This record gives sequence, structure tokens and C-alpha cells, in this order.
Amino acid sequence: MSLKRTLPTSVLSGFALSGAFILTVLQLLLQNVPKDIDRAGDALLSLNANEGVANAVTTVVVYFRGFDTLGEIAVLFIAALGIGLMLGENERCVIKAQSNFMLHTGAKLLFPIITLYGVYVMSYGHLSPGGGFQGGVIIASGVLLLLISHRDFEVPHSFIVWLETFAGVAYVLIGLIGLLTLDIFLGNFLPHDVSQMGLLLSGGIIPIIYIIVGIKVGSEMSAIVQSLIKRGDNV
Amino acid sequence: MSSILFIALPLLFGFATPILNKFGKNAVVYISTYMQAFLLYLAFTLLSGNSSHIEIISIAPPLGISFVLNSISLLFVTLFTFMMTLFSLYYLSHRKTKPYKNETKFFILLNMLLAASIGLVLSSDIFNIYVFFEIAGISAYILSSYEKTPSALEAGLKYLITGAVASLFLVFAIVLIYMNLGSLNLALIAQGFETLAFNTKLLISVLLLIGFGFKVEIFPLNFWVVDVYEGSSTLVNSLFSSIVVKAYLFVFFHIVYLFLPSGEFSVFLIYLGALSMLVAEIAGLRQTNLKRLFAYSSLGQVALIFTAFAMQNVDAIQAALFIVIAHSIAKFIIFLALTNIEKEYKSMDITRLKELNSPFLRAVMLIAMLSLLGIPLFAGFIGKFLVLKSLAVSGFIGVLVLIIIASLLESVYYFKLAGFMFSKCEKGEVLKIDFVQKLVFIILSFSLLLIGLVPFFFSDFLHESATFMIDNTSYILNLVGGR
Amino acid sequence: MFEYLNQAEVIKYIVTIGSMSLFFVGLFGLLTQKHFIKIFISIATMETSLFLFFIGNMFNKNFTAPIISEGFTDIAKMNDPVPHAMILTAIVIGMAVLALGVSMSIEYYKLTGNTEIDKMNEMRH
Repeated sequence: MSLKRTLPTSVLSGFALSGAFILTVLQLLLQNVPKDIDRAGDALLSLNANEGVANAVTTVVVYFRGFDTLGEIAVLFIAALGIGLMLGENERCVIKAQSNFMLHTGAKLLFPIITLYGVYVMSYGHLSPGGGFQGGVIIASGVLLLLISHRDFEVPHSFIVWLETFAGVAYVLIGLIGLLTLDIFLGNFLPHDVSQMGLLLSGGIIPIIYIIVGIKVGSEMSAIVQSLIKRGDNV
Repeated sequence: MSSILFIALPLLFGFATPILNKFGKNAVVYISTYMQAFLLYLAFTLLSGNSSHIEIISIAPPLGISFVLNSISLLFVTLFTFMMTLFSLYYLSHRKTKPYKNETKFFILLNMLLAASIGLVLSSDIFNIYVFFEIAGISAYILSSYEKTPSALEAGLKYLITGAVASLFLVFAIVLIYMNLGSLNLALIAQGFETLAFNTKLLISVLLLIGFGFKVEIFPLNFWVVDVYEGSSTLVNSLFSSIVVKAYLFVFFHIVYLFLPSGEFSVFLIYLGALSMLVAEIAGLRQTNLKRLFAYSSLGQVALIFTAFAMQNVDAIQAALFIVIAHSIAKFIIFLALTNIEKEYKSMDITRLKELNSPFLRAVMLIAMLSLLGIPLFAGFIGKFLVLKSLAVSGFIGVLVLIIIASLLESVYYFKLAGFMFSKCEKGEVLKIDFVQKLVFIILSFSLLLIGLVPFFFSDFLHESATFMIDNTSYILNLVGGR
Repeated sequence: MFEYLNQAEVIKYIVTIGSMSLFFVGLFGLLTQKHFIKIFISIATMETSLFLFFIGNMFNKNFTAPIISEGFTDIAKMNDPVPHAMILTAIVIGMAVLALGVSMSIEYYKLTGNTEIDKMNEMRH
């Protein structure tokens, strides 16, 4: 019995097209290896010392490029809004398996630990690797665990909405306060001595903004995950 | 007043809507309209103030992000806020008979779209441009599939997939730029771009062209436009063709003029634009659905603006700015009028125009169509005339011929539409239009007639704006030298 | 042989070739697959390959992480923090767009039962 399958022309042409593109790009990239030049990152690293924050990536994300972070928060907000719009009116899908005592208890045991870990990563984001996004996603994964293991668990919608609202409004208000006091949007108007580097309360507005980002990301990812579980039963 | 308010206020509004909802059922709609009117007032004050200064965000450029305010960016900001305020006014009366479900979410998306388009035009940092690119894109995907009918969802899905692929190529280009030049500020990139090897320059330019080309609706990357226009609701189409595509056009050519000031690819871009216009007009001839027909017409006009921007002289860019203003206002009128027609007749077939029994709508649509054609005394004439003159002066006779043929084809189907509208057939019932909607139409048509009758009133300002687009040295010095 | 492979330029070559192959896989999937979810997976693969390419090429293995702590205070010998910040933003944005796309295709499938991109015929062509 011979397996003879002729590849359709679309597959062959797709292969050829993408192969040609990639080979051209690869050749161009390998010919011109970028040299070691002065990058913006080096200058930002030396500026970072003035802010009194240990983790330079956090300073870049939250302060030097804080406007991009604000835009990214807006994208996540609009995406959660859109997903809620598309799938929000459906009922939650019902998991047909029998509820299992070990799964229930294990998930309930793990959830506070996961949440604690997420809060730790969020609040120590300016001292060690981590930060708001990472912590928020960790908390959302804890919520996902509870959603999967329990049949009728649902985070109350109003709770998520108020967390999101508080976090978003706080972020923009901090930026506007910077505009009023320092004439620079998102300027660092709280004290940020270099001598405080390494302590939890250092860096001015930077840990505050990162915690706000963490709250927003955590609540929005939980909302997205919860909407995706609501598909309606006939799918 | 700071120009950051253009971004901060819509974002604050969007985040705070659950609080605003407590003030009443209609509070969100009215607060949004007042906020947009305030932004329009702010745009006018900035426009009449002193020009060309920089707003700093977080730290000073070139290490940080900043907004550059000069005549041309303020021109676009004023245009966008003007369109959006009139859109909100129109919607205020539209909602009395046919409100959207979940209106709060609709208004959040509208304001995010406005903030992102303004941010695209003002920003001076390429990664910030990518972030606003995504914000505008994601708001547009949701707005396009807002009604959740199968055709709306199909339109939204096609838009999303092409948009995601476009942003992929844009990220690739930004990655290569940072690896080779070490900075994300447009001025520093412009300074260092000539020092790159030719292959790297070619790769980055091609990637930027593909990435922006999807959004700027240039052939062959505009296969998605017509289906998206047909599937989305007519009300939202007006935003797409008047605000979104103009922002992308400005950003693309801003980047092209900064990075490639000696115009290495400009001839290629001019021919590409003329080809797109011809293809769009040929395809538009056979359409029987009004929305698809006007979508093809949009493609043609945007290609004409693309060609005009691609030429490397000030007169052509001034002409392009004239066409931008005229096309935005005219297409806005047409799509809003189509919303009224669709509400009454429930169908977008071209023969419905024969039954249209509203002298006001017929007059308004006639003014808009005459402006799009480029008939003298209407706003579109001066732009088209100046573009053709620049083409002839620069010696692009082939492109001139292509554009004239495309314009003739466009006039064929516009005259067919006008014939349908004014035909002596049996008319349906009288179409009543609300007073506020009539006011919106009158303001828009009056602007078209104003620009058409006294273009010299505006041409100095537009000439100054055009010089800002070509003149790199002052832009670069402004940014690299700090505030 | 491992010392040869451990040099900085060779690592950058390997990273470039590897991430471009991943990009090729994603591009091939985008051009030939018809199912919505497969198209989204291809787009996600392409995005991941670009992030790999960027971070891999900007990494210098003799330098330390850009975090100031005891024993690591020499700023001149720290890696660049800007690529990390850019990729953080790009990952979140890419994920948000794809999540939206998945939810749109779920709703579309619920309404029409169609999952192939070339059978979307809601509008006359």
C-alpha cells in the first residue's frame, strides 16, 4: 500500500515564497553584523543611578519609557473590553467531569501561595527581576487554576471592574500630577534619594506605578480568562 | 495648556467610565462629547499660538519620548478632533432611534481611536509610534465587528489578521533599527541612517514599507480594505476613511522624509501610488453596493494622496494636504449620509439612490461628490490641480497620464450615482433628518465650499506646514538639542 | 569545538539562523493554513522568533544583568536594559491582539459554524 500524496500548489508556492524571503533576509543579516556602538541603553543605565532604583529594566519600563507602558495598559484594557463584548453574554461552559476532592483541596491550598508569590514579584519589581506585568500574570494564573478546578467559581465582575478602574485612573492621575508639579508628564515628583537604593521604599513613583500596573494586568488577565471560559454550551 | 491632554484625557475617560456611569444612563455620552469639544478648542488655541515646540514626557529627548508640535502636526490634530466632535454630535441624534447596545464601550473605543491617531501624529519616537499603531489598530478591529453579525465578524477578523501581520513587520524593522543604530528617537535615527550599509538600509526600508503599506492601503496590500468597509457598520466606516488612514499616511511619509531625505525610493513610491489609484478606480466601476463603491473611491483618493506625498517638493506636499482635508470632509459627509439612507431603506444597493426622497441629502451628497471629483469651486479642485501641476513640472508625464485616466474613470461612476440620485423615478417616502444631523451636514458642506471658494486663505498655512515635513534639519536640531 | 561555538560572533550567527528558521516556519504557516487558530499560532510563532532574534543578538555573555546589587555595581559591564523593556511591551501587545482574535473567531464559529478563512463568504465578492 503506497501513500502517494501530491502537495497542492498552494503549499508549494507558500513554501517557495517564504523560503525565498527568509533566505534573502538571512543573507542580509549575516553579512552586516551590527557592531558595538553607543546605544541608548548605556546612557539610560547611568541615568538610572540618579533615580535610586536597583533594577534598571524597571526604571526603563516605568519611567524612561513610561508612556509606552501606559499605551500597553490601554491595549490590554481595550482587548479585555473587546473580549468581554464578544463573549461576555454567554454562560460559563460546564465541565462534565466529576468533581474530584483532591483537585478541589489542592487548588484551594495552592491559590493563596500563588497569589502571595505574585504580590511578592509585583512589589519587589524594582529591586530584583520581576515587576508588575510578571506579578499580574502570576495572579491571573492562580485565578485560572481555580476556574478550571471548580465548576461554578466566578470572580465577581464588579470586583474586577473596580480594580481596573482604580488602577487605570490612578496611573493617569499620577502622570497628570507630574504635569502639574514638574511640568513634565509622568515626571518623578516623589523623593528618590540614591541612598535609599535597595530598600522597598525607593525610587519615588516607580514602585507605585509598577504596583498599579500589576493590579491592572492581574485583573484584566483574569477578566480575559474568565470571558474565554464563557463560550456558551453548544460549542 | 499641554498637548499631553490630547492623550491623557481620552485615556482617563476610558478608564473612568464605570465611575461616570453612576451619574446617569446618558452621562457617558454627553461627557464624551463635551470632552471632545474641549479638545477641539485646545487644538485651535495651540494652532493659533506659537509654533514648533516640544512637549517632554518623563525625560528630555533624545533619550526620552517627546511630542513635537509644529504646524503640520497641529493641522492633523485639529482635523481629527474636528471630525470626531462632529461624529459625536451626529451620534447624539442617531442614538434616539437606533442606539448601540453597550454604548459605554462604543464611546471608550471611539476615544481610544482618537487618542491613538493624535499620538501617531505627534510622537517623535519610533517605538511609541508602534504602541499607538497597536492602540488604533485594536480599537478599529473591535469597532469594525461591533454589531456581531457574521459579516461584521468576518470584517473584523480580516482586519485583525492583516493588522497583526503588519505590526509584525514593523516590529522587525524597529528591532533592526535598534540593533544597528542604538536609538529609538526619530531624530537620532535620521542622523545615523545614512551611515548604514546599503543592504541594511534596503532591508529596513522594505520592512517599513510592508508594515505601513498594509495600513496605508497601497496596492497590492489593500485586498482587505473593501471587505472591511462592507462588513463594518456605515457609521464606523466614516471614521476609518477620515481619521485612521490619514494618520497612518502622515506617519509613513514623516518617517520616509526623515530617514531617506535624498529620495532614493521616491520614484518607486510615486509609480506605486499611481498604479494603486488606477487599479482601485477600475475595480470600482463594476460595483453595485454603495459601501463597496465608496470604499474603492477611498482607495483611489488615498493612493492619490500617497503619490502627492511621495514627490519630494513642497508644492506637491501642500497639494496633498489640500486633498487630505477635502477628502476627509467629503467622505465623512458621504458615509454619514449613507447611514441615514441605510437606516431608512435597510439596503445598500446602488439602485436605492433612485428612490431617495430627501432634497437636503441629495444636495449634500452632490456637494461631497463634486468635491471628490475635483470640480472647480469645490474643495477637491485645488488639491488635484496642484498635484497635476507638480507632476508636470517634475517631468512625471506617465504618472500624470495614469492619474488623469483614473480620475476620468472615477468621474464615470460618480456621474452615474448623481444620475441615479436626481432621476425622475418614483420616489419613496420623505426621509426626515433630525435637526442636529442637518447641522452637522451643513457645517461640513460649508467647510468644503469655503475651502473651494477661497483656497488662498489657507494656502499660506498649508505651505508652511509642507515645509515642516520636508525640512529635516530644524526637526533634528529641535530634538537633539533638547527643549 | 565548544570553545569555537562559545565565541560571541558564532553565538550571534546561531541565534540569527535559528530565529529566522522559526520565522520561516511561522510565515509558511501563515501563507498556507486555512483554519483561524492555525493562522493565529503562526503569527504568534513569528512574533516569538523576532523576540528571540532581538534578545539573542543584544546579549553579551561577559556582562551581567542590569540590576545594581552587592558585588555588581559596575555600570559599564551591564547588559542593555532597553531591549528587555521593548520586548516586555511587545509581548503583552501581541498577546492582547491574539486573544481578541481568538475570541472573535469563537463568536464567528458560533454564528456560522465556519472555521476556514477561504470559506468566509458572508459578503458578495
